[in-house]
Amino acid sequence: MSAIDASVEMRPKLVGQRIKRTEDPRLLTGSGRYVDDIAPAGLLHLAVMRSDHPHARIRAINVGEAFAIPGVVAIFDAGDIKGDFRSAVPTSRMKGYYATPIRPLAEGKVRYVGEPMIAVVAESRYAAEDALEHISVDYEPLPFAIRQVDAVADDAPLLHDEAGTNVIIAREFARGDVEKVLADAAVVVKGRFRMTRKTPMPMEGRSYLAEWDRRRQALTLHSSTNIPGIIRDVLSGCLDLPGNRMRVVAPDVGGSFGGKGSLNHEEMLVCVLARKLERPVKFVADRMEDLTAMSQAFDELIEAELAVDADGRLLGLKADVIGDIGAYSIYPWTGALEPVQVVSFLPGPYRIEHYRGRVRGVLTPKPPTGPYRGVGRPSSTFAMERLIEMAARKLGMDPVEIRRRNLVRAEEFPYRTGSGIIWDRSAFQECLEGACDLADYPALLRARDAARAEGRWVGIGLASYAELTGIGSRIAVAPGMPINTGTETSTIRIDATGAVTAAFGISSHGQGLETTLAQVVADELGCRMEDVEIQHGDSALVPMGTGTYASRSAVLGGGAATKTARVVKAKVLKAAAYLMAVPIEDLVAEGGVIRASSSNATMTFKELAHAVYAQMGRIPHDQREDLVASETYDPYLGTACSSTHLAMVEIDPGTYGVTVTRFVVAEDCGRIINPLIVDGQVHGAVAQGIGAALLEEVVHDADGQLLTASLADYLVPVATNVPDIGIVHIEAELPNNIGGFRGMGEGGTIGAPAAIANAVSDALSHLGVEVDTLPVTPERIFRMVEDARTIRKA
Amino acid sequence: MKPARFDYVRAESIAHAVEVLADAGGDGKVLAGGQSLMPMMNFRLVKPSVLVDINHIAELDRIEHRGDRLHVGALVRHRMTAEDALVVRHIPVLHHAMKHVAHLTVRNRGTFCGSVCHADPAAEMPMMTVLLDGTIHTASPRGSRALPARDFFVGSLVTALEPDEMATSIEIAVPAEGSGWGFEEFARRHGDYALAAIAVLMERRDGQARNVRVAMMGVGDTPLRLLDVEAALEGREVTRAALDEAIEALKMSIDPNSDLNASSDYRRHLAAVLARRALGDAWSRTRQTSVEIAA
Amino acid sequence: MSAEARITVTVNGLSCTRTVDARLLLSDFLRHELGLTGTHVGCEHGVCGACTILLDGRSARSCLTLAIQADGANIETVEGLGRIGELGRVQQAFRDHHGLQCGFCTPGFLMTITDMLRHHSLENDEDIREALSGNICRCTGYEHIVNAVRELARERGPLK
Repeated sequence: MSAIDASVEMRPKLVGQRIKRTEDPRLLTGSGRYVDDIAPAGLLHLAVMRSDHPHARIRAINVGEAFAIPGVVAIFDAGDIKGDFRSAVPTSRMKGYYATPIRPLAEGKVRYVGEPMIAVVAESRYAAEDALEHISVDYEPLPFAIRQVDAVADDAPLLHDEAGTNVIIAREFARGDVEKVLADAAVVVKGRFRMTRKTPMPMEGRSYLAEWDRRRQALTLHSSTNIPGIIRDVLSGCLDLPGNRMRVVAPDVGGSFGGKGSLNHEEMLVCVLARKLERPVKFVADRMEDLTAMSQAFDELIEAELAVDADGRLLGLKADVIGDIGAYSIYPWTGALEPVQVVSFLPGPYRIEHYRGRVRGVLTPKPPTGPYRGVGRPSSTFAMERLIEMAARKLGMDPVEIRRRNLVRAEEFPYRTGSGIIWDRSAFQECLEGACDLADYPALLRARDAARAEGRWVGIGLASYAELTGIGSRIAVAPGMPINTGTETSTIRIDATGAVTAAFGISSHGQGLETTLAQVVADELGCRMEDVEIQHGDSALVPMGTGTYASRSAVLGGGAATKTARVVKAKVLKAAAYLMAVPIEDLVAEGGVIRASSSNATMTFKELAHAVYAQMGRIPHDQREDLVASETYDPYLGTACSSTHLAMVEIDPGTYGVTVTRFVVAEDCGRIINPLIVDGQVHGAVAQGIGAALLEEVVHDADGQLLTASLADYLVPVATNVPDIGIVHIEAELPNNIGGFRGMGEGGTIGAPAAIANAVSDALSHLGVEVDTLPVTPERIFRMVEDARTIRKA
Repeated sequence: MKPARFDYVRAESIAHAVEVLADAGGDGKVLAGGQSLMPMMNFRLVKPSVLVDINHIAELDRIEHRGDRLHVGALVRHRMTAEDALVVRHIPVLHHAMKHVAHLTVRNRGTFCGSVCHADPAAEMPMMTVLLDGTIHTASPRGSRALPARDFFVGSLVTALEPDEMATSIEIAVPAEGSGWGFEEFARRHGDYALAAIAVLMERRDGQARNVRVAMMGVGDTPLRLLDVEAALEGREVTRAALDEAIEALKMSIDPNSDLNASSDYRRHLAAVLARRALGDAWSRTRQTSVEIAA
Repeated sequence: MSAEARITVTVNGLSCTRTVDARLLLSDFLRHELGLTGTHVGCEHGVCGACTILLDGRSARSCLTLAIQADGANIETVEGLGRIGELGRVQQAFRDHHGLQCGFCTPGFLMTITDMLRHHSLENDEDIREALSGNICRCTGYEHIVNAVRELARERGPLK
């Protein structure tokens, strides 16, 4: 615990500064390169015919006159490509789990509206879409259960017969005797909370371009993915190509938020077809396809009960969760990723002795759920923080005070939660106080009460949470998943011109990692930032790298950068010591110049590199070393990251429109590499949290049809929905990892929905109603208010 | 999401445009601003065989003031209507309503006439046409027609236009000097299609509301003129009691649909809330000493 | 009447002549015929604003415009606002305020803001946010974009 990395003590000059991003000039001038910007000669375009049934057997496919459309090259169904690949199987060591195989096109039957079924390859996307209009499918509709509560029933129609059940995931975490505590407690609050389904909605649609190199018999996939290494590894198996002939490149990627962080049907499909046709094949999902079939988020039903004593101390927590995982278990994370995290994180940052959390993950005929910014924790935090405020209201206790009494204290770390998560030190209490200080909580309460006296519906809500970020090899990111998410590798080389190239397995898609990692590398090496080029998003850069997800890249990428740069720097100084004929201890590298403190002699990195590489004999052959290194970093445990969000809302008592009038975030993300970028991450994530709380909902009707297939129906926040956000950065005691960084990319989506749900409930407290479903839309508020008034009248 | 094939004609004149429409045998579409048509074509929900681009017919690109009527040509963009000096000064309710029409970029291209002909029941300009005693002037191979707004809107996205007929302008009334106006809209986000909206005009003479006009949208298949609500206030002082009666009349006059964003019950509630606000605003904006609504 | 036509369009000051399908969207024309891939396609139904360009000086959705309609028109795209090492003023403000993350929506914002600054009074944050509300950004939460526009609005001259 006490061993803090020495590098933290010195204040380097780039890390910690608000440095403008390296990525910006190209992205601001339209000089970025996204997958759809790449157009090799002979390019063919793919359009996909998708199922319009939630569950049906494919009896026959009739392509009609489709081949007569000018520009149509080929049409494939599952049978046509059967021998061209092996299915991807999202395995897990979880007991009782069934791994649904993933194929490019539906075989035999379809399991959700939007599932890819037939591929049309044409000279243009226009022609390919023309052909789709001529293809008809004869379906035999099969029974299905669209709601998760129906799909878990013993007699529910099975989506995957081979599984023998729809419930392919079941886990339980337990500590102590929660039933007894609930029976004896002074106060028990309970609720049935529902975090509805969302879609990640990155601005760039999923885009894939596969090119088959006939000469090398090698495949290059340009993919808008944030996990190029994982995709390379799995496709290498599916396509039976060794890693040196299977390369996945993620060029500029227009956001993911999790939606591009799993293996996609169409990603496999372009590869299969490019090899089969020996032509480049591109698929760019249009917005309707992404809203219909990109991996989706959340969709849990959480029944939870919290026992509290008369002093507001949390005693026990019990929860039953049904996660609607959709029609397939996603690769590589499996359908367990989201629902299992809900029960493992449900106890939150609090001291609760007795816990029992059960979760079932159930198959339904909807698109698969997968990672989405925050994973599991937006749902668990929503349920837990609602219970906390319900308990506070019942006790007549201030919501800040009840949290203060129960948040794990500094002296209690490491604290093991009832589900087995270990919280290492983080600023749990300080974040709560920090948010209240910045918002001036007492003044806010007075403002709220004054507004209420005028008949206005104003409320304040808080949410405290903790998350694990930058997870090392001790635990897998998803339960039982057999791939390694706990390490990252960096290769740094100084070439003969003195330029520094640092290559990573991470894959930046908006996070600005080209900037932040260059800050870290430049500080560690002692070179200038502009001399460093960060390479990422390419499976060929390092032997194994999994990409950017789960708030890991600053911790693992930053750690790998630091470790590797130190090795390179040692080589630099060793060579410099020889060339300058001074003891190595005398040398300091800074700003690209190596200086001898004893003699004031200097040498630039450029001169040094030239001497090492190009001037034969300047360094004796047996002492000369290339200025390169490759190191892997594993934080093993990873870091805890914590935060408190505070929201103030006003509800129009007539229309029930909700306006977020104030939002404050206090968070501990360890040592900050670039505050400008950290602020941007917080803003963006909070905006998504506001979307989840007030606007966004993927709706499938009783027939399994999607009702939110356009951006006029799936509502994401626009500039008028998001207030300015106050941020307090708390750099508490630093975590025990290289650099002292914590991951922070996801947090905003975790706290904001809960804080807003609490604020809306507070604004409606005079009616005695509690928000239990998000988004809390005007329609839902209308129904809550009407029900409350009906009950009151009765 | 790419449009299906079509033939394209850049119309030289109104006569040319309607001739092409007639030749298309009911399968032609007029392209003005394209802000409603093009999304539907990209989704392939609309697949015309011929697209008649009227953007180069200069005579359609004008706003003309004739007496107490304003003639808005079929190419007049929302932005031009909103910025028109007469609209700003004399039809503030229209100027205000324009702020709710989608977004800046859409208003640069989208046209008043196009929005009316698209006849989305949750769009502002059809409602404003009803409110402002609008007349839709049309042309077809059979000559020209003038259709009053009340006969024009037939259903959701359905109008009285014949397949070979196009709107050439819309004529609306300039409210009398001293009229008060009210406009209330509720949408999930700024610029979205409204869940419900209401627009009101009234004059005040001798302390009484006169020439009350009330139009609503989002609460039926077409924009509605609410005659019973008007009648409840006509010739009366707009007191709270009068408003209560008007709201009761409103609730009896509408039968809103349920959809993804709002149930029928919520829409009915919302209509009442918006109506109370807009009617009160209109009364207090009438040119005469502003009188507080009596308790 | 035809399914294709020869058009001449001025893009960022340069004249281009091409034969295009009548149904070719202006967004696809710019990207795939002219190679100006800075204009991005985000929804193709006019909601997200990523494809916004200037058409005869005013912002327009290029996904809701046919290339054939642009015959004779003057078009400005993000590529015309500045270049690497020589950023235009709006681009520079975005960089200074960290108004972009993944960069996909950015060209559309830059073009909308160019129109806003040329033609619209932006007296307060509410005006700015309202004018921006037709462009979706999923990364930034808008605050840094609003900061950039506020700075630009303050330093500009009188309205055109």
